[in-house]
Amino acid sequence: MTTLSHAPASSRPIPNPEKSLITKLHMGTGLVVGIIFCWGTYFAMKAGRDMTDTHNVNKVLLMSMFAWSVGFLIGIGAFIGPFRWLIGKDLTAEEQLFMAGDGQGIKRYFRYCTDHKVVGIQYLVGVMAMLGVGGTMAMMIRTNLATPGSHFVTPNVYNSLVGLHGITMIVAMIIVATGPFGNYIMPIMIGAADMAFPRLNALSWWVLFTAIPVLCSAWFLGGIPTGWTAYAPLSDQAGPGMNAFVATIIIFAVSTALAGANITTTVVTMRAKGMKWNRVPIFVIGATISVALAIPAFPTFMVAMIQTAMDRTIATGFYDANVGGSGWLYANLFWIMGHPEVYVILIPGVAALMEIAPVFVRKPLFSYNAAIAGFAGIAGLSILVWAHHMYMAGWMPSLNGPFMVTTEFISVPTGLLFLVLVGTMWRGKPWMKLPMLSVYAFIWDFLIGGITGIYLSDVPADNYLHGSMYVTAHFHYTLMGAALTGAIGGLAYWFPKMTGRMLHERGGYISFWFVQIGFNVLFLGMFIAGSEGQPRRVADYAHLFAHANLISTIGAYSVGIGMLTLLWAIVHSWRSGKIAPMNPWGAKTLEWTVPYPVPLVNFDTPPVVTSDPYGYGRSAK
Amino acid sequence: MSNNEHEVLPPTPGARVATFLKRKDVSQTFWLWIFFTAVFVVLGLWAYPKWMPPVLSKQMQANEDIMIWFTVISAPIAGVVLSIATKSFLNMHRGDTPPEEGVAIRTNGPVVIVWTATSVLFCIVAIVWGLVALNTESIAAATDAPKSLIVDVTGAQWAWSFYYPAQNIHTHTMNIPVDQPVTFNIISDDVNHSFWPVQLGVKVDANRLVTTVAHADPSATGPLDIKCAELCGLYHAYMETSGAVQTPADFASWVSSIQATGGVEQ
Repeated sequence: MTTLSHAPASSRPIPNPEKSLITKLHMGTGLVVGIIFCWGTYFAMKAGRDMTDTHNVNKVLLMSMFAWSVGFLIGIGAFIGPFRWLIGKDLTAEEQLFMAGDGQGIKRYFRYCTDHKVVGIQYLVGVMAMLGVGGTMAMMIRTNLATPGSHFVTPNVYNSLVGLHGITMIVAMIIVATGPFGNYIMPIMIGAADMAFPRLNALSWWVLFTAIPVLCSAWFLGGIPTGWTAYAPLSDQAGPGMNAFVATIIIFAVSTALAGANITTTVVTMRAKGMKWNRVPIFVIGATISVALAIPAFPTFMVAMIQTAMDRTIATGFYDANVGGSGWLYANLFWIMGHPEVYVILIPGVAALMEIAPVFVRKPLFSYNAAIAGFAGIAGLSILVWAHHMYMAGWMPSLNGPFMVTTEFISVPTGLLFLVLVGTMWRGKPWMKLPMLSVYAFIWDFLIGGITGIYLSDVPADNYLHGSMYVTAHFHYTLMGAALTGAIGGLAYWFPKMTGRMLHERGGYISFWFVQIGFNVLFLGMFIAGSEGQPRRVADYAHLFAHANLISTIGAYSVGIGMLTLLWAIVHSWRSGKIAPMNPWGAKTLEWTVPYPVPLVNFDTPPVVTSDPYGYGRSAK
Repeated sequence: MSNNEHEVLPPTPGARVATFLKRKDVSQTFWLWIFFTAVFVVLGLWAYPKWMPPVLSKQMQANEDIMIWFTVISAPIAGVVLSIATKSFLNMHRGDTPPEEGVAIRTNGPVVIVWTATSVLFCIVAIVWGLVALNTESIAAATDAPKSLIVDVTGAQWAWSFYYPAQNIHTHTMNIPVDQPVTFNIISDDVNHSFWPVQLGVKVDANRLVTTVAHADPSATGPLDIKCAELCGLYHAYMETSGAVQTPADFASWVSSIQATGGVEQ
């Protein structure tokens, strides 16, 4: 638990920068130590090894990447606390305050800072950077596919773009809502002073940060030619860039485990007095279920990647049929993570929109219990459906029927999410601000994603659709159309609390329409191409698919323009936007009861909750 | 309107239903529901047959039927969601201050039950449809086996090759006769591929050292596009070949022409 006092900043001791090592460490020292560790490990391991043997190359590269990660964390001061514990001490109160970023201004964003609000902003900026990079790669993919026979990029570059776009976006989407809002907003929403484990909170961000250069290094090591699924034995065959993928996933899994444990513990143990479970804001419920689902899911992916690393470094053959292994082992491990991961991404975005809808319709959230049942039902079923991704793999065809049943049944709790949102809208007069527009966009996008998911879960239809562009369109409707739309809605909603300024309204509207119209054009084209029989992940295609692909590319450019507009609106508003009042939307959750900048420990007096936050509306009798 | 103002509801359930149905917003939502349901029905009946390639097998027919009829069956449910959302959207409030408070409907038990029951019913229809189709296919594959044409399919980076054991021919295109079941035995020489004769509507992965099986019942003649549906490396996009579902006479002629050149297609 946090040990920070509730005393106002003016009466707290000022950390003395001269006396403690912790005050001298920051991102720059992390980079220096990380690079030294990386290159030191590289040269030390390379010495005396036969580097014409790919196993040795993989060993050296993987260990260098992990050394970078550990070195950076040492250099930024992540292990000072644990080291003090080893020698029977702890950080002093002054050092803890320094670590919380007290009085450090913008510098705290570049330090190992334990303040959950700083971590939330770090996640927000990190996510935006990742979405920018992933989106740029998407534009390159769509440019290459604008016409058949295009040679905008080579097939090797194209395959790497597909893989890097996929993994960058998946990582970004996993943290897009729980990272910024789960860290910045959620503790305030439940009336807590900080997260349960502030140092782990900082560690989760900086561990994730170290994965970014590792993933970027793939470009310089020959790329990731396997797509983000990294199926074996293609991954065994892949070049040195594959090591970057493996290391990224292992590092990311550590980060998500830390974040998951922290968020769940915080919500369970640190809610304000009077905040019973039926008074917890629905975003908090959604974020908690999401990270609870991630806790068992990502270690499975980590295990899959460790085995990939072992195949690639010491020739274990887990996935190599030539020595008794099986690619199906990898596929199972991957999808045991992969399908829950879809809901890890989706649920927080939907929950954010459920938080938004009552505020802007000025009505209570319709059937709070149905919303929880929907989230819990989805989370529960999602761990029983993974093999629907493997209907056509040839692995256990006799299980296709049972997995079809469990998969189809997910549509029942999913339906509850729609009911909650349209039930909240019913007879309402919605205040048409940008956050509320996102709710409408979500309903359309997720409806399309949901219905097309029913076809794909049906084995006979999947016979035709599996591996086609239709699948690509479907999951973009759920991940981008639903989850990212939810996160953008959440950003528009909580932007005033996170930055103290209102998001530029006109810029937001322009962005919204460019993105949503472009998105639907883009993926309508992809649905058509998939129905016509175009496989996914192809660098080139037959003339038969030309019109559909051109439509998709036009839509993609519209999305690109919209996203750039949103970026401009965010930057412009953050720097010089209209000053936001404390509660611009008239909402009833606790985060709107604190001023901006939010005090270090959030509340001068711990709040007491006496009702749920959805007490809007006039009563009917 | 303040929180203290109340909406007065009729005293009996019957009167409440009658009042409900007479409300203008309800009738508007109803017409929107008709509109959206019709749009989805038309989409299902028109779009998929137009977009999907010619049906050359019973399996492809089953696929297309599911695409069409699942869209049609889901149309009324999608219509409910979209009609309420659209009605709400059209009722928007603009300005810098929040709108007046709406009716405080916390939940509605019958609505939640009916909605959930409808979802379950739709789900059961989809499941039963799928299981019946799956079972039909399994039975057909078993009963057709003795009379099936066998084609051994090998995927290798980045080409398909075919061997017809009964005819003892090796080919790089794949022709099959109409109205005779076909069993494909599929394997990979290297990484995973996915064998996809598009117009037949079947698809199975080709795995290293493991043979997977697919079954098709060609029902009409026409050209076939054979693609790889699993990312398999550098030239995945170009791992495709062609073929045809032919009349038995044309197929026999094609086989003979290859046997005449030593059993290997030139």
